[in-house]
Amino acid sequence: MTRMDQSDGGNGAANASAMARGFRLSSELIAGVLVGAVIGWGFDRLLSTSPWGLIVFFLLGFVAGVINVMRAAGVASRGTPDRS
Amino acid sequence: MAEGPIHQFEIHKIFSLGHIGGQEIAFTNSSAYMFAAVGIISLLMIGGSAGRRLIPNRFQSVAELSYEFVANTLKSSVGEEGMKFFPFVFSLFMFILTANLIGIIPFTFTVTSHLIVTLALALLVFVTVLLYGLYKNGLKFFKLFVPSGVPIYILPLITVIEVISFLSRPVSHSVRLFANMLAGHITLKVFAGFIASLGALGAVGIFGAALPLAMTTALTGLELLVAFLQAYVFTILTCIYLNDALHPGH
Repeated sequence: MTRMDQSDGGNGAANASAMARGFRLSSELIAGVLVGAVIGWGFDRLLSTSPWGLIVFFLLGFVAGVINVMRAAGVASRGTPDRS
Repeated sequence: MAEGPIHQFEIHKIFSLGHIGGQEIAFTNSSAYMFAAVGIISLLMIGGSAGRRLIPNRFQSVAELSYEFVANTLKSSVGEEGMKFFPFVFSLFMFILTANLIGIIPFTFTVTSHLIVTLALALLVFVTVLLYGLYKNGLKFFKLFVPSGVPIYILPLITVIEVISFLSRPVSHSVRLFANMLAGHITLKVFAGFIASLGALGAVGIFGAALPLAMTTALTGLELLVAFLQAYVFTILTCIYLNDALHPGH
């Protein structure tokens, strides 16, 4: 990603690159929340613990989404320097 | 506007291949464009490598450039041992890139603007990472979910969050490509529709129509860039995920 961000060959390229980055970060967050909610929903359906599974896993999914975004933005890493 | 901006994403049946369990298996325009993409790639790579010149001609140069590009991306994020996944990563990159580029040509169908296609590609990566990670590392693969240096009392919570984070990968991986292509093509179509509706207003409208025409031209250039960028992003994320399969829990 970083290599791509540096190659701003004009305004159009910079815009597309920024848009790609924005799309990437937002999709990471949404994916985390979505997967958490689906797991919670499935949990509730199987064990009939409604609505606790959804509540708990929705929040956990939100946390996972934020972690995904932080990793994608390079704020937090798992120790690998090339993770961007 | 003759057709709505969504019309371009419709799937038509070209001919039927038969029925499996009451479900019709049809050869659609989507399949046709997938075959076209594969055909173009095969033509490029086979044609490009047929000459084997020391000083490459244009054709061979494109084939060599695409090889080098993907190989460098793979090596820089996975390392030398990642090259065993080169055929897989290269096929993904070329397929997405070609499908995206075909989609920019007017009146064509964009294969990657359908979530099911991108999801299938992302799940392919996901399952490969999962199976190869388990095969290569055994149970050590699950160290991916247990980060080191975390106090034992919050470890269960962190593990659950890491598992959700891992499961969300194919979702974000596929939605990103799909959303980019869908949004880009709808924007293009809407602006192109403005040209037609403004142009119908008479003399003033024709001058007004120059504005969306300029916008459409600029957007087509931008879309060209997005087509390449999204193929690249999909590839580099594939590399990052494959890296986790090869070296979990670093």
